[in-house]
Amino acid sequence: MMTAVKQSGVWAVLLWPYLLAVSIPLDCRDEQGNMSRCPFISQEKLLDRIIQHAELISRISEESCSLFEELFVPFPLRLQRNTVGYACITKALPIPSSKSEIQQISDKWLLQSVLMLVQSWIEPLVYLQTTLDRYDNAPDVLLNKTKWVSEKLVSLEQGVVVLIRKMLDEGTLTTTYNEQDLLQYDVLPDMLESVMRDYTLLSCFKKDAHKMEIFLKLLKCRQTDKFNCA
Amino acid sequence: MMTNVWEAVVLLLLPFLAPNAEGTQYSPPGKPALTRCRSPEKETFTCWWEPGSDGGLSTTYALYYRKENSETVYECPDYHTAGENSCFFNKNDTSIWVNYNITVVATNALGSSFSDPVDIDVVYIVKPNPPEELNVTIMEDKGWPYLRVSWKPPQKADTRSGWITLIYELRVKLEGEDDWEMHLAGQQKMFNIFSLRSGGSYHVQVRCKPDHGFWSEWSSADYIKVPDYFHREKSMWILITVFSTFIFLIFMCFLHMNSNSLKYYILPPIPGPKIKGFDKQLLKNGKSDEIFCALVVPDFPPTTSSKCENLMVEYLEVYVSEEQELILEESKELHNSLKCEGSTSDNDSGRGSCDSHTLLMDKCGEAKGDERQTDGEGHPMEMEAQMHQRDWKEGTLSSAYQDIVSPDMSSGRVKTWPSVFSPLHQCGSTSLNQMNSLAMAKQHCLSDNLSPPGSASSFLPQSGRSTTETHRPNYCEFYSSDKQLSSPKPQAQTHRKLQAHSDINISHKQAGLQSPALRPTEYVEVQRVNKEDMVLLQPVESGCVCGDGCPQVCQDYSKVKGLNSDNMLLLHRDVMEGEEVRSHCEKQETNGCITSHITPATQKPTDCIPTVTPIVQKEMGLAVSGYVDTAAMLTLPTH
Repeated sequence: MMTAVKQSGVWAVLLWPYLLAVSIPLDCRDEQGNMSRCPFISQEKLLDRIIQHAELISRISEESCSLFEELFVPFPLRLQRNTVGYACITKALPIPSSKSEIQQISDKWLLQSVLMLVQSWIEPLVYLQTTLDRYDNAPDVLLNKTKWVSEKLVSLEQGVVVLIRKMLDEGTLTTTYNEQDLLQYDVLPDMLESVMRDYTLLSCFKKDAHKMEIFLKLLKCRQTDKFNCA
Repeated sequence: MMTNVWEAVVLLLLPFLAPNAEGTQYSPPGKPALTRCRSPEKETFTCWWEPGSDGGLSTTYALYYRKENSETVYECPDYHTAGENSCFFNKNDTSIWVNYNITVVATNALGSSFSDPVDIDVVYIVKPNPPEELNVTIMEDKGWPYLRVSWKPPQKADTRSGWITLIYELRVKLEGEDDWEMHLAGQQKMFNIFSLRSGGSYHVQVRCKPDHGFWSEWSSADYIKVPDYFHREKSMWILITVFSTFIFLIFMCFLHMNSNSLKYYILPPIPGPKIKGFDKQLLKNGKSDEIFCALVVPDFPPTTSSKCENLMVEYLEVYVSEEQELILEESKELHNSLKCEGSTSDNDSGRGSCDSHTLLMDKCGEAKGDERQTDGEGHPMEMEAQMHQRDWKEGTLSSAYQDIVSPDMSSGRVKTWPSVFSPLHQCGSTSLNQMNSLAMAKQHCLSDNLSPPGSASSFLPQSGRSTTETHRPNYCEFYSSDKQLSSPKPQAQTHRKLQAHSDINISHKQAGLQSPALRPTEYVEVQRVNKEDMVLLQPVESGCVCGDGCPQVCQDYSKVKGLNSDNMLLLHRDVMEGEEVRSHCEKQETNGCITSHITPATQKPTDCIPTVTPIVQKEMGLAVSGYVDTAAMLTLPTH
């Protein structure tokens, strides 16, 4: 809770000048709760930071997934590298899925897509943390990684929100919280099922993290060189 | 006839042969299998399949796919672009992050067979083309060359927009070798290779991989030859080697030149015995005579040495003098003897004479005492004076004796040459051994002159005394061969004086007369002792030293054989004389003093200092009138 506050504080501190320029600035609160000015950061730098975040998240999620697969998933059931067996929770999201489609959508939608993805994965990752704790011999490496990813995802969300406001001059976006039929949070009786569910979760997140990374990079390219980018 | 048979056989066999060509066993096609699907740039992809058996009939293959979220089945849009048994999906048909479910169906007239479905996601099947425009150049960094490799990403891959992020890897190999050296370059498109071999030829290749995908093929190799360059490190080592070799050579030369001195420094030679005049070669030759004569040093005892000159006790002038003169002489002698300081003597020669401080004192004292005695010889008064001085003299003698005896007797050969000349020192002894010692000391010097050991010689004092004219070893000359003169000489000086007296008396045949003027250095030889117990003396040429080759003189030394109970010094002669000499010697009677012999002539029967006798008795082997063999002396105590 406190860390979330701190994260938000950091973001606010970073983005304060822009927020002032935009309609409703974020409140930059330090630990004492006093209002203070946020330092200035340029849009390009902000986008760069967001991209770095996304790259890190994507890499760590990939490592977590492969680690989980080695530890808990029986070999016959292991998904090929090139596929994900079960449907992901984000399949319903209107996210472009080909380069041609991506080339056609606007920056706004690109950012919106990223935001949607980020926001839709915050909850499941928290859930994943709890389920992994229930495992008998889950190594600390895996737990730490998933924990780190969930934390970083929150930061990413905040960054993207700020960037959207900054770039698109839009007001606070209503988080299109997908009232998806999320996975059952209760423990399934079958251990294998539970494992496969978690495995699917990690795999889907891995893919979505990669998506976010690509989108943000494309966005950056559009910022610099609009005509030669995808 | 035969042809008919053959035709029949062929006809019979034909149905069996024919069906094989025709494939009567038709069957549906075998099951195809998708081998792989690949996307070069994450925008298109291609799938290949392996057809199964066709079942004998023409078989057609179709590929159907289904996307993950829909149930719509699509067929492969392009079967030809990618070649045989392939399906190519172009951009429009390709969706990223979407699962494809692909199936291949083989169909022939009899049926069809489906392959196993394969799920793919284009993101994970990307295998890019190899990097392009590989360029290798040689750069130089402070004289050290290195390779700069640069390349471009494959053309189709869109890395500029960030659609694909590629990482690169290159490998380097020397021409002719088999081992490649791998380098991971990350996302950069340029790389430096260091540590090149001079003059080597290198092959360089590069490949790339997306973040989720497969490695590309290696690019075409680029060759480059590194020019020859002189290894600076090697040149430094060459310099160091040359320099150290040079220094080493100099060091060896130095060692060689100073080898001897170094040898002596490290392993000093053990000093061997060095006896002056000792000639090893002579010893090897084996002629003992030459050896021993060679040992005789011409100037030994040192007479030419001015230092020793003063140490020499001068010949006592035998003349009747007043007591004052006595005292004067004594004082003079004292003075002279006191001058006897340690003179540097050759340690090797064994003289050690003048150095012997104490002995010198004793001798001087004794000489002094002898003088007194001498003076006292002629006069009873003098004798009294001598008696008065006896203690002093005795003390001198004893101390001198002690000094002489202890070191020298043990050696068997008298070493301290004119210990007689030792400066006067306080005498504490009361025995007359001092006088004996003095006598012995004199004999010592005689012995140093290499008189045959064992030959005892009684030396007769020179009738005169001179203090300054002693350029010759007075004492050494101061010998007298006396076959008969065997009395131990507790009072060497006394004896001398007495002998002087006797000399005079003999020469002049007068009793009690003393010639005041006597030649300072005059040898006196005892010719014989007549029946009346008179010692007949005869002068001998002066300057005749044994070392000069006076065989007669040497022969005249008599050796003390022993001392009998009657206080008789038994002398025996050496080779030369006959037995009668021996008989003479043996018959010779002595009461311990030489004076006894001379008393008939000098009318001094009782001039012997009575204490002499006991001394003689006590110190049997010590009191001698002439040269005494120390060995004999040693044996005498047993007598």
